[in-house]
Amino acid sequence: MKFKAIFSFLGLLLVLFIGIPIVKMMISTDPSTLVLTSKEPEVYSSIFLTFRASVWATIIALITGVPLAYILARREFWGKKIIEGLIDLPVIIPHTAAGIALLTVWGRNSLFSKATGINIIGTEISISIAMFFVSVPFLVNAVKDGFKLIDERYEKTAITLGATTYKAFFTISLPMVKKSIISGSLMMWGRGISEFGAVIILAYHPMTAPVLIFERFQNFGLKYAIPVTVLLILISLIVFIFIRIFEDK
Amino acid sequence: MNLKIANISKKFKGFELKDIDLEIREGEFFVIVGPSGAGKTLILEIIAGLLKPDSGEVYGIKNKKIGFIYQDYMLFPHLNVFKNIAYGLNIRKIDKNEIKSRVETLALKLEINELLQRNVANLSGGEKQRVAIARAMAISPDIFLFDEPTSALDRNSRMKTREMFIKLHKKTRSTFIHVTHDFEEALSLADRIGILINGRIIQCGKPDHVLNSPESKEIADFLGYKNVFGGSIENNKLNINNLNIIVPIERADFAYIAIRSDDIIISKDKIESSARNSFFGEVEDIFKKSSMYEIMLNVGIRISVDITRKSFEEMDIKIGDNLWVTFKVSSLKVFEH
Repeated sequence: MKFKAIFSFLGLLLVLFIGIPIVKMMISTDPSTLVLTSKEPEVYSSIFLTFRASVWATIIALITGVPLAYILARREFWGKKIIEGLIDLPVIIPHTAAGIALLTVWGRNSLFSKATGINIIGTEISISIAMFFVSVPFLVNAVKDGFKLIDERYEKTAITLGATTYKAFFTISLPMVKKSIISGSLMMWGRGISEFGAVIILAYHPMTAPVLIFERFQNFGLKYAIPVTVLLILISLIVFIFIRIFEDK
Repeated sequence: MNLKIANISKKFKGFELKDIDLEIREGEFFVIVGPSGAGKTLILEIIAGLLKPDSGEVYGIKNKKIGFIYQDYMLFPHLNVFKNIAYGLNIRKIDKNEIKSRVETLALKLEINELLQRNVANLSGGEKQRVAIARAMAISPDIFLFDEPTSALDRNSRMKTREMFIKLHKKTRSTFIHVTHDFEEALSLADRIGILINGRIIQCGKPDHVLNSPESKEIADFLGYKNVFGGSIENNKLNINNLNIIVPIERADFAYIAIRSDDIIISKDKIESSARNSFFGEVEDIFKKSSMYEIMLNVGIRISVDITRKSFEEMDIKIGDNLWVTFKVSSLKVFEH
């Protein structure tokens, strides 16, 4: 009993730490202001842009990240630790630094820009690139851990039953890591939505929700930043709770 | 066509196979027996073509269909029983109705027809095993590979499983290659066995023959021989701790002798005979086993003797008693390493 009480108390402290600022901000916002804010084209288009750009990033990450995760989980090769370290890096480095690093490759004076004549800075593509860079570790690591938990002998069994390596992967391993892929994608998508540092360096405009919040706070003060913030949090919260419920089923 | 494993060597994840040479006849029930860690699974995976050997080759496997049954069955957890069994047929793009009837026939044979729509996670060990066998049988394999299929089962289901394997082997007439650490299991199943220790097949032959004529101390130890002694032999006598044991060979600088615990007689009075070894010693330990007693006597060396419960009670043996042990020279196995 005592054990349960102490653990519940400590856990509650954490929940309150996260919950209080959010609840406080929400109750301090007049619902009518919220409705009005949500009708502002600048606001809803920035929220849509944020969600959409993060979806693109997540899709690209699924196409490239799942194979990488599989290889990292299943194979031993020279330099594997280096690759794993590299994948973890975006989580640790300041995201403004990540933005700067990305500019050297995708910026106006970069080799890419000169060679193709295409400028992606300040476009939705650059937002997705920034989001991809900082949030892809969540997907790769989740899927890698998922593959690690699956006994290789399932695939081997499928192969003895006549499956090709591809077939065994798509009919056995992939469905077995479905949960890790879904939760990894959600983590990545959510982390992408919240990205500010790297995004603002690659694209101040078009404005994502985090940049818009920053701009309103900077130019007009706390009072004007809150409604947008509340709106973004509310939508994110609804989406994530909905997904958690869906995930359990 | 026989299956020929020629000079296979392989190092993999801490396991190692060294120069494996085996020929397994078509339709034979071959059991590879050895302690855990000997590399048994590795051999099966190489035969199945799932792993490439570092050197050597497997002949007679091309275009052969393989039914591989792993120790923990490896039933696909995201598919129900029906879909597990149908997996190999679906891969071959066989007509759906044909698949349905084949799966149902197999399920009926293996008495799992009630389980077809069940989730594989909720099956008992024995049920899982039968599903795994049905899944393998669905593709009518030429060769079945069994990786310790009974080690996850309780004693009772293990016995039933052995019977099932024998029936299955008779019915399918496929080649069966079975690995186990359980020598008794090997005895009850195999046409021939190969003993695998430390990555080498160190003896191969009919089970009774291997049991009665181990070729080395290692094999004798693995087969559960309790009385293995080493020493030099001169004039047909092995000298150890001032004890002269009459042996069937004339001389050797060093050799081991082994005697089965149930080939030794104990008695209160000396049994006179020239073709026998007789020694006098003290009972040091008595161990009760399921249907017999193991008596440890010190006659200069510690000798283990198995006697029936009945003779144990008749002789009224107690620790500290002094008794004679007698064994025939012909029951001694002699090997040099």
